[in-house]
Amino acid sequence: MSDSIPISRRGFIASACCLAAAPVLTPLTMAAMPGDNRFIAIVLRGAMDGLALVQPHGDPLLKQLRPDLALSQNDGLLDLDGFFGLHPAASELMPLWTAGELSLVHSVSTPYRNARSHFDGQDILETGGSSADRLRSGWLNRTLSVMSQPAAAIDVSTSRDLILSGPNKSEVWSTQSDITLDGDALQFLMRLYRNDPVFSTAMAEAVGVDDFSDQLYGESKRGQGVLEVARLAGGLLREQYRVAAFSIGGWDTHVRQTSDFAKAARQLAVAITTLKEALGSDAWSKTAVVAMTEFGRTVRQNGSAGTDHGTGSCCVMAGGAIKGGHVLGRWGGLGEGDLLDGRDLMPTGDVREVAAAMLYRQFDVPISALTSSIFPGLDFSNRSAYL
Amino acid sequence: MSLSVSSTAAMRFGYGLRPSEASIAGPDELLAQVERGAAEAPLFPQEGIAGRREQVVRYRANTQELAARKKRGEPTEEQSRSLNKEAAAHFRRDAEARISQAVLSHNGFHERLSSFWTNHFAIDASKSQMMRLAVPMFEAEVIRPLLSGRFSDLVRTVSLHPAMLLYLDQFQSIGPNSVMGLQRGKGINENFARELIELHTLGVAGGYSQDDVRQAAYVLSGLTLDLESMEVGFRPRRAEPGIFSVLGNTYGGEKRLIEDCLDLIDDLSVHPSTAKHVCRKLAKHFVSDEPPQALVDAMVAAWIGSDGYLMQVYKALLDHPAAWEKPSAKIKLPFDYVVSSLRAFDVDEAIMLSAATRTDASAFDRMMMDTEPKPMQAGSAVTVRTGPNVLRRMGQQIWMPPSPAGFEDDSVSWMNANQLTERISWARHLASNLGKDRDPREFAKAVLADAARDETMKIVGQAPSKAVGVTLVLASPEFNRR
Repeated sequence: MSDSIPISRRGFIASACCLAAAPVLTPLTMAAMPGDNRFIAIVLRGAMDGLALVQPHGDPLLKQLRPDLALSQNDGLLDLDGFFGLHPAASELMPLWTAGELSLVHSVSTPYRNARSHFDGQDILETGGSSADRLRSGWLNRTLSVMSQPAAAIDVSTSRDLILSGPNKSEVWSTQSDITLDGDALQFLMRLYRNDPVFSTAMAEAVGVDDFSDQLYGESKRGQGVLEVARLAGGLLREQYRVAAFSIGGWDTHVRQTSDFAKAARQLAVAITTLKEALGSDAWSKTAVVAMTEFGRTVRQNGSAGTDHGTGSCCVMAGGAIKGGHVLGRWGGLGEGDLLDGRDLMPTGDVREVAAAMLYRQFDVPISALTSSIFPGLDFSNRSAYL
Repeated sequence: MSLSVSSTAAMRFGYGLRPSEASIAGPDELLAQVERGAAEAPLFPQEGIAGRREQVVRYRANTQELAARKKRGEPTEEQSRSLNKEAAAHFRRDAEARISQAVLSHNGFHERLSSFWTNHFAIDASKSQMMRLAVPMFEAEVIRPLLSGRFSDLVRTVSLHPAMLLYLDQFQSIGPNSVMGLQRGKGINENFARELIELHTLGVAGGYSQDDVRQAAYVLSGLTLDLESMEVGFRPRRAEPGIFSVLGNTYGGEKRLIEDCLDLIDDLSVHPSTAKHVCRKLAKHFVSDEPPQALVDAMVAAWIGSDGYLMQVYKALLDHPAAWEKPSAKIKLPFDYVVSSLRAFDVDEAIMLSAATRTDASAFDRMMMDTEPKPMQAGSAVTVRTGPNVLRRMGQQIWMPPSPAGFEDDSVSWMNANQLTERISWARHLASNLGKDRDPREFAKAVLADAARDETMKIVGQAPSKAVGVTLVLASPEFNRR
């Protein structure tokens, strides 16, 4: 395309935006306002087996119910508190545990019960309601309008995830996205999109975030694995963004769970340690990360050395801004009468409370909003164990 | 507001206008496309369906042999690598042929329906090398020929296809009290039973319970495939003995039979919730994210009146005025965008097929290793070859849906900063490879027709070069919508 107008990208953005008259949040205006605290939601898609990640090795029933899956310290299970142990594939998280930057919440779930569909389960996890609420927007998106200070939010993904969809502005960017247009062509595109709000918004966001990611990457390679996603999310949050979401898949371990679960757990550990590295120590100290899944898996292993869809699972909290070094939550046991429907880990806590506590701590979101518009029906107070 | 019948037919019910194609006069011609398309063999799998079956069996035998040799301590790495490379190259060629098929076919409505049903019965080629060989065969063998028949036949054939049973782990499901279950201490795997009910038939709001899923899994235990021959069948030794109840119907008995499974599948496919679920999904795919209830009702009535004969359902869709109103309501999915942009240039058979038939494993390796694609050479075949990579970057990798629910089908999922950036870059790539000699205004008239906005025509006319002008046409909101 033509290079006829020699104009710097940043200089160009301002003029093109006036021209386009689109609602543009450029890097320059974003820099002015936000607070310093950060929040990252990691959606673990596919139903993460909480009993595999945080194993109650102190309960002898575990080995009986899961002869091929239960690990002991001899197998490399990393003891946390004498009763629970962390899966060895997540060993990279141990330094965070020791430093008080990691907590695990056991036996939590969303309000979703009894149907165990990934897709409904994820909808409920991301909308923050129950089946009955039929919400169409994500809880993290709704949170953006009730924070004490405005915060720029980004979904690191190729398509917009429900958790950040909704009435408030949030952006979508992937590790591969890169605008390589010169100013002249950009100007024509802005005009082309002026009267279509969906396209003009997408274009303005693309130009803004592209500037950041160009700075982050420089000339280096743009990969697309979890490590790269976490590096981009961390880099954007170190700069002007304050809220981010991304997903890690690979948890639907119906078959041969041993190898597949280890792969996914390693990815989760890499994601969290990479976030810490990319944010740098100052920003990390103001960051809370919550990794949550749509539901857990059956307590008993199934016929193919895997597990089927269940209910209770666990949730991972990390970051310099959390109360770390604890296995939180109430353990309900593995005995026949302790299970939900005789098959699933009984949820003893609402995973939404973990997220609510982080939003309260990080952004002063009012409790009244957390228990109504953000997470309808949630029981939450400032005495929450997660604070 | 509405567009001309010919524009709506091509854009909403096909893969967009292709200048050399005759214009479509109305619903009857679209329905004729479905009949014709169902009778034609697609460009994939490359060696045909029978040839691919043999290929899958051979692949399995080779991997088994390698596994045995590895166990004996013999070196197998090199052979195993070349085996995987071969399967990967097959897949790469099939994925390109999938694009060529949609671009070149004169049966646009059949092509769109093929994509819809392949997504409805979503199976994922990334699960294993075996699946990379099996998924293209699944679409060619089951989806394309049967999408014009009865829904119950489609569901039954899908459910008895090796690719589906592999993908949803059905071959791992064994009744715990069956002969084999007692011998080996094995049990049920619910995966297939659940998705059959939740996704393929009743839908998640269709009024079933966890108990129904569990009981259906017991009924289906015994339905399995022989991994050596890829033949699907019923093994009584694996089937849970007893009588089971699913949604009020009972199945099974002292002796377990394949009829138990077939009866269950049939009952699910004629359940009233199934017609509602599938008709709404079709209307949502073709017309609007929130389709008018009257349209959905008309389709459900046609379904019930014809015992689920899908041609009648498509006819009800096309005969309803709402199907022709409110143009540009939906954002094209990435696959639709890429295919319609190639159609806009009237890319011909010679170019598409030369891209689809050449052997180039290195391109696939690059894709898998995720290195930057090498700079584009002149020539359109190269353009077509980049299609699968571009679709991966746009989040809709061919035959690799993110879950058994398939790719999202709503507009909000498919327009955002990342998506627009990728689309502009693809438009620009096409414009510089294929559009240098096009007059942008003529190009706009030919591909946007009466969907073109006045401002688009004006801005395109002012573009500083032909390449920029052509890029703007393909990047325009109206070309991204349908």
